[in-house]
Amino acid sequence: MAHITEATKKEVKDIVYQFFADECEVNVATLNDSTNIIRDIDGDSLMFLELIEVFKKKYNLDIELKTIGKYAVKHPVETIGQLIDMQMLIIENENKLLEFDK
Amino acid sequence: MQEKVVVTGMNIISSLGFDLQTNWKNLVEGKSGVRYITLFDASANTTRIAAEVPAEFEEYSRQFVKKRAASQMTRVTRMCYTCAKVAVEHSGINFDTLNRERCSVILGVVNTGNSSTEKDTTFQNTIFKGMTNSMSAWISLEYQLQGPNFVVNTACASSAYAIGLGYDLIHSGRADAVIVGGADSIINREEIEGFNSLYALSVNNDPPEKASRPFSKDRDGFVIGEGAGVLILESESSAKARNAEIYAEVAGYALTSEAYSIMAPMKDGQGMAITIERAIQNAGISKDEVDYINAHGTSTELNDRYETMAIKKVFGERAGKIPVSSSKSMIGHTIGAAGAIEGIITILSIRNSILTPTINLDHPDPDLDLDYVPNHFRNKEIRVALSNSFGFGGHNATLVFRKYPS
Repeated sequence: MAHITEATKKEVKDIVYQFFADECEVNVATLNDSTNIIRDIDGDSLMFLELIEVFKKKYNLDIELKTIGKYAVKHPVETIGQLIDMQMLIIENENKLLEFDK
Repeated sequence: MQEKVVVTGMNIISSLGFDLQTNWKNLVEGKSGVRYITLFDASANTTRIAAEVPAEFEEYSRQFVKKRAASQMTRVTRMCYTCAKVAVEHSGINFDTLNRERCSVILGVVNTGNSSTEKDTTFQNTIFKGMTNSMSAWISLEYQLQGPNFVVNTACASSAYAIGLGYDLIHSGRADAVIVGGADSIINREEIEGFNSLYALSVNNDPPEKASRPFSKDRDGFVIGEGAGVLILESESSAKARNAEIYAEVAGYALTSEAYSIMAPMKDGQGMAITIERAIQNAGISKDEVDYINAHGTSTELNDRYETMAIKKVFGERAGKIPVSSSKSMIGHTIGAAGAIEGIITILSIRNSILTPTINLDHPDPDLDLDYVPNHFRNKEIRVALSNSFGFGGHNATLVFRKYPS
């Protein structure tokens, strides 16, 4: 269980925003937490997996993809803000993500 | 209802260029795209030459392929996708005005080029890069086409098969428009060593541009090429309804299997002859109408000998009066893309009344006595032309294109 600081929150948000700006070839200033990943910037579900890999490496997370998959089925991610929130939960709870959901 | 099938758009990406005009100009001028291999260090290989698509393609393709999609495609898939986008632009077709369930994509693909020469392959994109069906899928996604979307692999005849199958969908009334074609590259160490071990490739490395010598006495094997060719096939009624420019009619085709050998063509070109005969029958044309044949013409001993024998068997005494030329003398053998690229060259020949030459035909083989349009282009009115494709495994195809009245 990692403690999420304000600095971590900012870092995660910056990484996610920059990732979408780079991959979708859009100006980062045009993105906000309500931006719909597929509808607004032509993103795809694979991006979600790629970001998880980024954060797994960065924070040395112990989290299995199937755990995230089970969580995501109940909590679908459509916007950048939702994705950031989920990443925070993953960093904070790792493989106990589903326990948090109870 | 049997619909006439017409060609309303085309594009070629090859060692001679990225667009139709550049390719055509270079082909008519008899230029060779064969060079020393740059995609990997081939200095230790027996064959060190190939007809590579120039490196500038990567920059050119960025205007057509979004960065995100590009990262999930191989270089060859990007060629295919780019080629398709230019062909669609060329046709002026607007899929918003058509029923997308009646629009399809069929491509001939042997492999996607996800080989040792491919860059930036990761665990997360290797599956997409390796899926042969990704080529048609990306195009279907781009235009949101919901009719059948698939690839066919019949080795060197793959994209000729794709054109034939696309023709069937339209001819039978099941589709209004089909994007057909193919893309391929096997310019990598593994494939070159493999083909070298079969004695199929030319080892005339110096100078590279002289290596591909179809129908020549001193031919010693094919030269690997790479690229993409895409055509927009449409029903005549759809094309006319939108006042589209029609470049040619696909009059018919034949696909056959020799059931003879995994590599060698059937003796004396018997299988090739049957294919050409069936295509003529399918198109409902007279043999006397055939004014040009774009040969498979690989520059291998057996293909060129047997293809010549097949043409003579089918056309009899008239065979010597029908010009036959091999585009592979200039752009090498583009494998899965060959049928589409050479089909497009055939259409451009009809359209422009110009026959592209067989270059490097300086030492005629006394046994091969057809008119191979040696070394220089020729002006000629063409009513009907054939394009042959014959693949390892005995996959044969002959396409029949007819001039469309202007």
